[in-house]
Amino acid sequence: MTQNASLMSGIPELLVLRLLSTREMYGYELARAVRESTRQAISLGEGVLYPALHAMESRGFVKARRRTVSGRTRVYYAITPRGNRRLGELSGEWRRIAGGVRALLEGT
Amino acid sequence: MTTQRFKGLSQRLLRAGIAPRQVKRLVAEIEAHFADLVAELRSAGLSQAQSESQAAVRLGTEDVLIASILARPELRSWARRRPWLAFVLLPLFALVVQFVLSMLAAVAVIAFSTQVLGITALYPGPVPWVVRGLQAYGVWIAPIAAAAAACFLAVRSGAPLTWPVVGCALVALLGAATNASFEWSPAGPRGVLSGGIGLHLPDLGLTSGLRAILTVLTVLVPVLWLRRKRRELTSIP
Repeated sequence: MTQNASLMSGIPELLVLRLLSTREMYGYELARAVRESTRQAISLGEGVLYPALHAMESRGFVKARRRTVSGRTRVYYAITPRGNRRLGELSGEWRRIAGGVRALLEGT
Repeated sequence: MTTQRFKGLSQRLLRAGIAPRQVKRLVAEIEAHFADLVAELRSAGLSQAQSESQAAVRLGTEDVLIASILARPELRSWARRRPWLAFVLLPLFALVVQFVLSMLAAVAVIAFSTQVLGITALYPGPVPWVVRGLQAYGVWIAPIAAAAAACFLAVRSGAPLTWPVVGCALVALLGAATNASFEWSPAGPRGVLSGGIGLHLPDLGLTSGLRAILTVLTVLVPVLWLRRKRRELTSIP
């Protein structure tokens, strides 16, 4: 399915923060979780996740730490209190937009 | 360690000004993700070649990855975000700091020699040589060190050379305009120390002009050679 770029902007940040608010994850896990939790309606270029994560880290929304699991070192990301506040803002914004679109669709 | 598959990505990101620390981590994470995808597809029954090909599609092409990384200015190195600061102001500041420190060190060497070691100006031993060495460092070596550090940083990060060349020229001019001299004459029981530092701007004169040119050449010739070498190395497929 083709995804409109302007509609999609900001969604990766929302999805990542929402998923990280449940538990810490590494990149591959996050990509899988995005696919599964959105029932594959949203598929990000999986590599694109990393610049988004690094940018969120530099803005203090997530923090990264290295963990060795089964002999493999992975970078795990966890949401920070500032990230939680950002998630609240983004969720509210998205609900407002979605509510507006739903009202429009149900009105026609 | 970056495999051949991601070496091109790593080099392109460095050339585009992404901080080396970020590049190392980004590429390592993308590489690990690729390995996870291949393992997932292999366990679904695909061949190694099919798995790698599909994993590459899911990960995104090199161009897409680079575009998504470059779209985040916060991932660029500070030197690429503020080249005037990194390659012009900082080397000038480094020159001033080195000059001042070398002069203070020269004074400290004489003070220590006379007050602690009891050396006098009449029998100074190696002290004048040490002082001359520090003086030469402040006047001759410090400008080269400051300009070279900025230029090599630029080459290492793949930055365009415009700002480093401007910085190198200004450092060379400021370095050539400074002078320092110390005289330790045996006039008193411990000798008399006299010294002076000078700055001749904007009229440099022939000697200072030659000093500036010497500094620029000493720095830029190896830098340009190194840059060419690095380009040849990175262009090998």
